[in-house]
Amino acid sequence: MLLFRSEETVSRWCEARDLPRRPLISLDQLWQLAVAWYANRLTVESRRPGPNEMVEVFASIGLTGPFWDPYA
Amino acid sequence: MSDELDTRVKLAIYSVIAETGAVPTSAETAREVDLDEGEVRASFARLHAKRLLVPEPGDPSRIRMAPPFSGVPTAFPVDAQGKRYYANCVWDAFGIAAALRADAVSAAADGHTGEPLTLEVKNGRPMPLPYVAHFAVPAARWWDDIIFT
Repeated sequence: MLLFRSEETVSRWCEARDLPRRPLISLDQLWQLAVAWYANRLTVESRRPGPNEMVEVFASIGLTGPFWDPYA
Repeated sequence: MSDELDTRVKLAIYSVIAETGAVPTSAETAREVDLDEGEVRASFARLHAKRLLVPEPGDPSRIRMAPPFSGVPTAFPVDAQGKRYYANCVWDAFGIAAALRADAVSAAADGHTGEPLTLEVKNGRPMPLPYVAHFAVPAARWWDDIIFT
């Protein structure tokens, strides 16, 4: 997963590699993903979210559709 | 029984990383948890199967990824708590701040142009910037090649 200044540089990166443009994520959405995945990573309780939890986390920040479906 | 051992090993790995910024080898982890190195390597393999870490390809004594931390330098350095850490990707750059529960600065770059783009987390929030993140592959395929993803 890479960082870009703008949608325009994402498009240029995809074109240069003949890859499809995927949904973009804002830094606020990215921070919420980071907290959901990693806030407890240094503790005994830490574990990776399961597929159903992933769907819930994605949906809670507006990331829906086949791209975000871990079962797709 | 192995679950308990794996938890000890995992906590030791993350404790060393948080304190030093470096990802420990199997020998270093074995010393931390007072176990035989072979047992620790077996634990690394089980933690890999649970998608909790990624061994270095071709070298089971080393860890490439203990998410969000990278065992090798990357394009996502993260400075926090007076130490330098490396993240596996931009998600993990924020993930290090979340895991450490600390303010952090990451001297990242635009994935296409290489232009320096600095990210900062302060008081539990990212500094507001108009940058965007982009996954090359859909969620169902992230672990097909996690190093690429």
